[in-house]
Amino acid sequence: MIPVRCFTCGKVVSSFWEEFKRRRDAGEDPKTILDDLGLFRYCCRRMLLSHKEIIDVTNPYQ
Amino acid sequence: MRIECQHRDEHSCRFVLSGALPSFANSVRRAMAAEVPKLAIDSVGIYDNTSGLYDEMLAHRLGLVPLRTEEGTYVPIRECTCEGQGCDRCTVSYTLSVEGPGMVWSRDLIPNDPEAAPASGDIPIVKLEKGQKVVIEARAILSTGKEHAKWQPTTVCGYKNYPRVSIDAHCDGCGACVDACPRRVLHLVGRKVEVDGERLEDCSLCRLCDKACLATGIGENSAILVGSEPDRFIFTVESDGAIPAPEILRQSISIIRARGEELSRALSEIAEG
Repeated sequence: MIPVRCFTCGKVVSSFWEEFKRRRDAGEDPKTILDDLGLFRYCCRRMLLSHKEIIDVTNPYQ
Repeated sequence: MRIECQHRDEHSCRFVLSGALPSFANSVRRAMAAEVPKLAIDSVGIYDNTSGLYDEMLAHRLGLVPLRTEEGTYVPIRECTCEGQGCDRCTVSYTLSVEGPGMVWSRDLIPNDPEAAPASGDIPIVKLEKGQKVVIEARAILSTGKEHAKWQPTTVCGYKNYPRVSIDAHCDGCGACVDACPRRVLHLVGRKVEVDGERLEDCSLCRLCDKACLATGIGENSAILVGSEPDRFIFTVESDGAIPAPEILRQSISIIRARGEELSRALSEIAEG
């Protein structure tokens, strides 16, 4: 799951994840999406850029 | 002492504090980050959790959800008349009960006081598969950033000295400094370098312009003087959504004032005694 807040500054970033993922998968440049979402600090940007969702991989093994 | 607000909205606030000592500016910053109280979930009772996350992980994620806090509605649990038992004056309770498939959102946290609902309802807590279930009861209390960062109402909260950039008369207008400045504070007007008044506040005092000027072989002294005003500060405050940013500033000032009054009362008692 995406961390609720940015590790460094504490801004809530998780609420942007769904939109970021949808638009990135649609082929949009991550730079424009992050600018649109108002994530202008590089600490918050890396939270979304470097995130890999693995909940769907682990869920079947509960 | 003066405060000039340049930008103000619910989420962030930018202002210039002038006529203050550096120690006072720092105490304002510290009061905003660590002394202004807000609500956050601090204890979680888990009735059922068959989700992909451990109970501890769920509790941790719930604790980080910002909850709207109205000043004066709640008292810190230690100062409450219930003596730490938890009552309507000091605690808010939440219930969360979701069955998969689907995402558990922060909006699924149902508070007993609608005023203390999560600031954003779009925070994903955990994703559930078919048959997975989460049933949780949580308790939020009022506390400050001194105890844990989840009670900190600010995210970014800092200040810098107000920059002062001046161009000396022996500037030959070569423009090397204009290209060197990463914040584009300087610009060329004809054959003369000038400070862009609107962008001056963006200056980070990196002195790259200073170095670029010396590198052109202008002489012993650079034609640019970069310094800062010792008693003027540019503050940037960002809220996590629990308390509006201007409100955080207002509360922090009244906290400092109350502290100051307490100190002077204590000192006068000592002097009299």
